[in-house]
Amino acid sequence: MAEIDLRFVDELVERIGRSADAVIPILQALQEHYHYLPREALERVCQVTEITPSAIVGVSTFYGQFRHQPVGKHLITICHGTACHVKGAAYIQEALERHLHIPPGQDTDPRGLFTVQKVACLGCCTLAPVIQIDGLTYGRLTPHKVPEVLQDFLHQARQDGQQRMAGAPPGASVKTQVRPLQAEIRIGLGSCCQAQGSARVHQRLVEAIQTGGVPAKVKRVGCVGMCHQTPLVEIVPPDGPPKLFARMTPETAEELLWEHVSPPSLLGRAKRLVVRVVDRLLQPNGDRRVEQQPLDVQDGPVCAFLGPQKRIATVDSGQIDPLDLDEYLQHGGFEALRRCVHQHSPEELIEEVKRSGLRGRGGAGFPTGLKWQRVRAAPGPKKYLICNGDEGDPGAFMDRMLLESFPYRIIEGMAIAAYAVGAEEGFFYIRAEYPLAVRRIREALDQCYRRGFLGENIFGAGFRLHLSVREGAGAFVCGEETALLNSIEGRRGMPRLRPPYPAEKGLWGRPTLVNNVETYAVVPWIIRHGADAFAALGTPTSKGTKVFALAGKVQRGGLIEVPMGCTIRQIVEEIGGGVAPGRRFKAVQIGGPSGGCIPASLADTPIDFEALNQLGAIMGSGGLVVLDDRDCMVDIARYFLRFTQDQSCGKCTFCRIGTRRMLEILDRITAGQGRPEDLERLEQLARSVQAGSLCGLGKTAPNPVLTTLRYFRDEYEAHLAGRCPAGKCSALIHYRITEKCLGCTLCAQHCPVGAIPIVPYVRPRIDQQKCTRCDTCRQVCPNGAIVVE
Amino acid sequence: MVRIQIDEHQIEVPPGITIREAAELVGVEIPTLCYAPGVHPPTSCLVCLVKLVDTGRLVPSCATRVEDGMRIESETPEVHAARRTALELLLSDHWGDCLAPCFFGCPAQMDIPTMLRQIAQGQVRDALITVKKDIVLPAILGRVCPRPCEKVCRRAQADGAVAICGLKRFVADLDLASPQPYLPDCALSTGKRAAIVGAGPTGLSAAWFLRQMGHAVTLFDKNERPGGRLWTETTPEQLPREILEKELGLVFRLGVELHLGVSVGQDIPLERLAREFDAVLLAWGAQEPTLLERLGLKVSGRALEVDRQTYQTNRPGLFAAGNAIRAKGMVIRSVADGKGVALCMDQFLRTGRVQGLPGHYSVRLGKLTAEELAQWTAQASPAVRSDWSEAGLLGMDQLEKAQEQARRCLQCDCSDVHTCKLRRYADQYGADPNRFRTDRPPWSPPERDGPWVYEPGKCLRCGLCIEVATAAGAPMGLAFYGRGFDVRIAPPFDRPLSEALGRAAQACVSACPTAALRLDEEKADLALPVLSQGTKRE
Repeated sequence: MAEIDLRFVDELVERIGRSADAVIPILQALQEHYHYLPREALERVCQVTEITPSAIVGVSTFYGQFRHQPVGKHLITICHGTACHVKGAAYIQEALERHLHIPPGQDTDPRGLFTVQKVACLGCCTLAPVIQIDGLTYGRLTPHKVPEVLQDFLHQARQDGQQRMAGAPPGASVKTQVRPLQAEIRIGLGSCCQAQGSARVHQRLVEAIQTGGVPAKVKRVGCVGMCHQTPLVEIVPPDGPPKLFARMTPETAEELLWEHVSPPSLLGRAKRLVVRVVDRLLQPNGDRRVEQQPLDVQDGPVCAFLGPQKRIATVDSGQIDPLDLDEYLQHGGFEALRRCVHQHSPEELIEEVKRSGLRGRGGAGFPTGLKWQRVRAAPGPKKYLICNGDEGDPGAFMDRMLLESFPYRIIEGMAIAAYAVGAEEGFFYIRAEYPLAVRRIREALDQCYRRGFLGENIFGAGFRLHLSVREGAGAFVCGEETALLNSIEGRRGMPRLRPPYPAEKGLWGRPTLVNNVETYAVVPWIIRHGADAFAALGTPTSKGTKVFALAGKVQRGGLIEVPMGCTIRQIVEEIGGGVAPGRRFKAVQIGGPSGGCIPASLADTPIDFEALNQLGAIMGSGGLVVLDDRDCMVDIARYFLRFTQDQSCGKCTFCRIGTRRMLEILDRITAGQGRPEDLERLEQLARSVQAGSLCGLGKTAPNPVLTTLRYFRDEYEAHLAGRCPAGKCSALIHYRITEKCLGCTLCAQHCPVGAIPIVPYVRPRIDQQKCTRCDTCRQVCPNGAIVVE
Repeated sequence: MVRIQIDEHQIEVPPGITIREAAELVGVEIPTLCYAPGVHPPTSCLVCLVKLVDTGRLVPSCATRVEDGMRIESETPEVHAARRTALELLLSDHWGDCLAPCFFGCPAQMDIPTMLRQIAQGQVRDALITVKKDIVLPAILGRVCPRPCEKVCRRAQADGAVAICGLKRFVADLDLASPQPYLPDCALSTGKRAAIVGAGPTGLSAAWFLRQMGHAVTLFDKNERPGGRLWTETTPEQLPREILEKELGLVFRLGVELHLGVSVGQDIPLERLAREFDAVLLAWGAQEPTLLERLGLKVSGRALEVDRQTYQTNRPGLFAAGNAIRAKGMVIRSVADGKGVALCMDQFLRTGRVQGLPGHYSVRLGKLTAEELAQWTAQASPAVRSDWSEAGLLGMDQLEKAQEQARRCLQCDCSDVHTCKLRRYADQYGADPNRFRTDRPPWSPPERDGPWVYEPGKCLRCGLCIEVATAAGAPMGLAFYGRGFDVRIAPPFDRPLSEALGRAAQACVSACPTAALRLDEEKADLALPVLSQGTKRE
């Protein structure tokens, strides 16, 4: 191997710093440079900084982001979030490994081109199953699409190389300001939208406008929430109602442009006409003009999707450019902060927040006002505040969307909180899996400093606040507030014993306010509209709204915000449009790995902290994954336990060993090797882990197991008897081709292991010995002739 | 001062101290594994859980500070159950043997590994003393024993068991041939008298131990010489008679009264013995069931029925052991019974009640794979097995060979068996090491660096050593690698332990709650001197 050039280390240390808390940023920069962490570089860091060998080894092996071995040229991350799991992430992984000929137990193909790596959740749940190759996201995959995707990626990578030479990063707002605007074309450029190709749509529109001289403005906007329809393009004519178009491609979007916005000059129109005629001549069958019907907001599905929603954290969604500070100001931005620093004392503010009934949106639902009061009351000259954006729950992407779409709103919320508690320095802690969110927040912070909304003497009121971003490094447990503090301080993300709470002794031992992204996002609204308006929404103990990431087996997945008290059924059936026709709505998984599975029979339960707790679930941060009759509840329980097992920091006995022992029992049950005493043993152990674990991760880890045992015990018993009723657990099922088979041989052609003989016009038999239960045949069969038994 | 309540104790304690410290003040001992005084507590083991009555929460007492009005539960069934579960979870991932397989293979539960270490060091007399703590007739057994210990020796699975029996014979022969064979000290007289019926291996063994415990012993045998079946069931070729006689004679040097040619039940009624002695042991081998029934004793099968834990018959003060209570057993079984029953009779003689034999709490490593075993045997002497089975009386000329053979021992037993906190609390809390056990993960043998030994299988990953190393100013210290279940602890950048820990090594070893990090006593002189102060305190 080539010798490592260590000069980079010295330069880096110069730039980032030498103190112990610089370790994670240093490691991140090292990895970006070397693509892994060479040991020589780590030793060099210890020589030139205050970071000890013990710390650098402990930290660099704690966080999942860091690699100690060289990787392939391209990195494929396979999302194993909840939605991806129920939609077959394991099949995708298997297909990738098979297609790339990756030897068992390894992660890189023999040519060193691709390294395949699991990731807890990419937060693109509505596109499940999802993979990311070097930052390019591919969604709605099936095993047989894998070769196509890899080819597409390599093609893109070549093109990108050329494009990068030409400059202009994709995704920046481009405005043509020559003539008065005729129309505004809004396009969602959140991570999910981009994964569905919205960046390419955006680019095509920009190019078309520039070359065609169309007096329109293409504006990127944040998440619209209708992830099931992405990429979405909205055309807002100067007169008349806006029209929303779904599932755009670059081609269809350009068609739209010409249909709705006419170029002003004759020349432009003529040019376009010629191009179109030529296009048609060249591609006689290639008229790509797909039906272009706008989604009507009055129309059934859209109306239902938007109907029961109430937007507070996500107000103006899909309408404003996330980074356009002026636009934010036009929509009343920073008005609340101005009012606070000029008209209200911190005590009044805290009273107001208390009166609003706002409770923490990160999961536990601690009253926000009370937390603020405690930080305010804690003695000491220096206080910190932190925005917890380490949204790690698989199946949740609310915080990512809020950070990407409403950076200024969150900054304003933090500024108000900082004023209330008396903090002058704060951090955004955002997981590294959210690169777009990190970038937007950084840009937004820059803008705010430049315009005086952050920094010294804000609004001339003598109020000062400095905010910066710290990136997480791939550890779910860092969403736990004390683990997060350790992470910012440059330690392993191991939770601390509480008390003392962060409000008294937090970051570097100072009083620290830690709130979730969504909590900060609703604060400006509360100040502007008053606590009473907020408290008017919801139930007696849970006020306001809650943002949910709705995903899984639901027809219309997306990002939604509903008033508290809205029922689970309303969310699943009205907003989400229920499960696919022919399927049966079975349960919702709410609250991720700390939450539980609520059966359809209890779907009339309102969204309310206490009501959900009573069912054994929790509100959590807002992941809501819908499950249907094809989902095995034992498999779901095992899925979450494997996740928490993977993400356990390994500190306390109950979580470290207890969850592993629980997982072993579940592995056994799903493999058809369960023993009659297993259920009782599992339940006992779950109660012990719940009672004995040190932090929230461990204390709540048994919830998915306990709720499924409570509501779906019959499924566990069926597994003990050797049956998986949902047909999911591969050790307990087999595939069979029924009489409906037409003999088309499609299944045989796609079977990756040759378990189906290719004989036309004959109904083949599946070789059960060879079959790996990868589900490909069932997915490709045009006639639904393949069944799972 | 703040007022708190721990169980039934109402106390005033200084503010800011931990619950564990407060409990100590009122004499409630809370178990801890990952705690060391003066070191930042990692709060990882959670064996020190207590319950806060007001919140209903279980919290680690080593780091939770007292607050005024706090009500704490420590010695309750619920808290004990939680501690027990924590211990059982730790035990389920603690891979080693507290006591070696040979210890359990030997009916007399002789401390074989210690004997082998002493032989390896050339300390043959110490080795003999170790043997005689459990086995009264080692020269004899060295010739007649079917060696159950060697069958379970780990090395038997690789290149042949260590010649345990031959080595035992070696030290016994040397002792027997010496001008002053070893005799243990006897405790001051208790004034109690025990009668033993039968001077075979069981009776002699019992007499040997009862004498050491300070009781007067009278032996009765119907034959004209002591030794019982040792004369009839062995040949002179197998067991030379001068060795037999000489070794039997040692028992009587402890002052045992012997009545030969007396048949109890015929010449002397059992009732008379029961009257005249404080306890009676029937060690008379197999007897006709009709005779036993005539004496009013319970019979099961063809043998006397006794409580298997206490060797008591259905008559108080009357014990039975050896072949009297079981179908024809090995001589070592009888010798083992003699030791066991002596312990029970001692309890009876001293207190009037019999608790039975103490258990031997042990975690077991279980069977290793061939590769794992090969890694381990590579650390011990590569010598081949040789067991002296054909040799006559062994002399000092065999010492080198014996040492070499003894060095073949893998030392499966745990060096910290008497100091290990995990074992102590597991025993105290009745933790079942198998409750949560599953398939064993790959195992690797102890890692050695000079005098320092790290046994990964025994590490609880509590992280105390990391804290101690930092507090003691170790040059590099130790680091966690990875996270979650598979986290492990090692010096950073794969450096040797001695380099990473320097003078802090001893402090880390002392803090380690198990034998995961330890000092190899045999190489202790290689260890750097411990810093005189501040090694354990910040």
